[in-house]
Amino acid sequence: MSTTQPVIRAEGLTKTFGPVRALDGLDLEVAPGEVHGFLGPNGSGKSTTIRVVLGLIRASGGHVELFGGDPWRQAATLHERLAYVAGDVALWPGLTGGQCLDVLGATQGGLDEARRAALIERFDLDPTKRVRDYSKGNRQKVALIAALAANADLLVLDEPTSGLDPLMEQAFQEVVRERREEGCTLLLSSHILDEVEALADRVSIIRRGRTVTTGSLAELRRHTRTHVHAVTVEAPAGLADALGVADYVCERLDGHVDSRFTVGAEHLDAVVGRLHTARIHTLTVTPPSLDALFLRTYDGQAVPLDATELGEPEEAGR
Amino acid sequence: MRATGLRAMLGVQWRTHRRGTLVWMFALIASMVATAAAIAGLYTTPEKIHTYAQAVTSGDALVAINGRVEGIDSLGGVIQDEFGFLAAFLLPLLGISLVAQVTRREEEAGRLEAVLGGRVARHVPVLSGLILASAAIFVTAIAFALGLIASGVPATRSVLYAASLGALAFVFAGLAALLAQVTLHSRGVYVWSLLVLAVAYLLRGVGDVTKTWVTWLSPLGWAEKAAPFGAMRWWTLLIPLAVGGLLATLAVLVAGRRDLGSSLVRGGAGSARATTWLRSPFGLATAIHRPAILGWLAGALVIAGMMGALAQQFVDAFTGNPAMAEAIGLSGAQPEDGFVAVTQLYIAIIATGYTVQAVGSLRGEETAGRLEPRLSGTLSRMRWLAAHGLVIVTGLVVIVAVSSVVLAAGTAWSMGTAVQLGRVAGAGAAYLPAELVVGGLALALFGLRPRAFPAGWAAFAVVAFIAFLGPGLKLAGWVLDLSPTTHVGNPPLGTVEALPLVVLGAIAAALGVAAAVGFRRRGVPQG
Repeated sequence: MSTTQPVIRAEGLTKTFGPVRALDGLDLEVAPGEVHGFLGPNGSGKSTTIRVVLGLIRASGGHVELFGGDPWRQAATLHERLAYVAGDVALWPGLTGGQCLDVLGATQGGLDEARRAALIERFDLDPTKRVRDYSKGNRQKVALIAALAANADLLVLDEPTSGLDPLMEQAFQEVVRERREEGCTLLLSSHILDEVEALADRVSIIRRGRTVTTGSLAELRRHTRTHVHAVTVEAPAGLADALGVADYVCERLDGHVDSRFTVGAEHLDAVVGRLHTARIHTLTVTPPSLDALFLRTYDGQAVPLDATELGEPEEAGR
Repeated sequence: MRATGLRAMLGVQWRTHRRGTLVWMFALIASMVATAAAIAGLYTTPEKIHTYAQAVTSGDALVAINGRVEGIDSLGGVIQDEFGFLAAFLLPLLGISLVAQVTRREEEAGRLEAVLGGRVARHVPVLSGLILASAAIFVTAIAFALGLIASGVPATRSVLYAASLGALAFVFAGLAALLAQVTLHSRGVYVWSLLVLAVAYLLRGVGDVTKTWVTWLSPLGWAEKAAPFGAMRWWTLLIPLAVGGLLATLAVLVAGRRDLGSSLVRGGAGSARATTWLRSPFGLATAIHRPAILGWLAGALVIAGMMGALAQQFVDAFTGNPAMAEAIGLSGAQPEDGFVAVTQLYIAIIATGYTVQAVGSLRGEETAGRLEPRLSGTLSRMRWLAAHGLVIVTGLVVIVAVSSVVLAAGTAWSMGTAVQLGRVAGAGAAYLPAELVVGGLALALFGLRPRAFPAGWAAFAVVAFIAFLGPGLKLAGWVLDLSPTTHVGNPPLGTVEALPLVVLGAIAAALGVAAAVGFRRRGVPQG
């Protein structure tokens, strides 16, 4: 595999279903060896993009390449090198979990036997149970194990942890990191920001079938603001008007001065200097999270995300 | 038990299932009323009715199939006899499917959980399903009665006949409701109800042929003993109503007491590894289609075995009364051939139903979301389609071949003579192209217009109606020609021409190619 050639490259993808425009000029590039987070609210076109990339549906317009080939024409050949977990996992109800694993493995062009056994152990799956008696989480585990145990260069995971408990989510993240260290490329679609933040090297954020922003987390963070909460002995001088500071709120509490504000990453140093002069009692600096990034991207839009769930100060970038 | 949320539940169930329910009702009412009208147009004089009655009662064979109709020497009696076979299956199926689709299937899909999480008592979904099913059955029965009256059957007798059929459907609705509580999956509800139906059919047949009390053991017998065109025993309606009511009450009680998602019958563990065979496209396709193949094969074997065992009675009836041959759409000098021809046509319809259902399970794989992961691997669309096509056709050949052997064996046993297996099997094989045309049509729908797949079942319904009732009702030639089975030439009684079979085969092949081309071009999945 050439290191320069992207694993997935999509340019200006459009897809219409009757009157509905599911993709509207979407761009996506996934480089070899990276974990690429693919973020967007429900219905933004994540699954449609993945299906176009896999050659399951044909784009109405634009250009798409998978391993440098045309996924619509060479689907079966290109699929030798990837494994896929669909957004809605469906298995054959009459087969056992273990049988489904093997069938999915054969579909993908082979499972690593040692990895299969290890993952069954790790995800605590009973492979002798019939799929119709499985819970949703257990069905999800079967699909995940089949993909993670595959001998694949690329893993395409569409909302992979839906239905998993936190313990299993943890196990999943560990396995994904291991696979990445082995040189595997991952495309991870999700609307769970924590998960993408924990795993992704680069992210693409899409909305209404269009890529809104893309880049490494560091690059994206540069455009967002750090939250600072400081309790000082004296009132910090001139902070309200300092360069790069916004959303400044200051009040006196129990003989201390409580200040909250946001600041651009490049001005953080100067601001902390001023706080230091005012004698810091406690200081909390929260770097910009993907959540903040996400909200910023959807600035002014009705975002289907609950701000309280994000655990961020109210003002996150708005 | 307070029926909290009953009104809301009725609304939900009606809204989500009204289309399927109305299609069922419409199909039943249409076939029943069309049969009644056609018979009324055909048997216009008492003499004609008398000839028919003489014909069908002159042996045990037709009694076993259609039942012993009291008062057959009347227009209503002829209708009851002609509709006997279809009614024995369609009305119980109406009750079973109406209840199964709103009970266990909803629970299996996890939708029941969402409902019970709201202000709905645990037993209410079953109760509401039973109420809706009973209402649908009631309306169907009223439409039956009106159709019969319009065809010139006396009003009171029409009402009793329609009521007896409605009560029959009600018994099976109650049975399905109870089974939905004790089996874990909707497939189990169908399997066990159909098994009960098969036993009921056999008991009614044995009782009618032996003229003993055995008939009274069968729900089908209760309907028959109402004798709407004979003694008019209104009180017999109480038996199915009481039994159905008892089953329904038990179902509601069990539903109120058991845990969600639980059942008395549960499947055990299985193998943790898939065999090499199962991992191959052909192997998985076999696993997917095996239940359908076995189910339809069982149905075909029941018909083939029963008819074979009654072969001697049939032949006696034919030789004794040529009018009988005409009554079931046959005329000819070789009674044995005529009997095999009738049976092979029945088997051909069963085999056609299998092909439509098998192709439908491809659509099922797609809508359930199992096709997507399958095609995201190294398996190409054409190889996937070819593997399934091969399994479906193999299943078809197995059904036809095994049924033919059983038919030949049963006939030989019954008649005490050697039967030419080649002749019986050849007749079965001659229907293969016709069966494949209907299957090909279903496949073309799957490839080109997957959302329109139910049209495949409509096509099957037309073919079945024409094949079962077309000759007896003396339908117009062009109507008969609509069904591919008409063009086979009624073997082994009639002669089979090569040309129609070749044309049918070519049509099936063309439909198959169209399906492949369409499937290659379209997006997957299409919900």
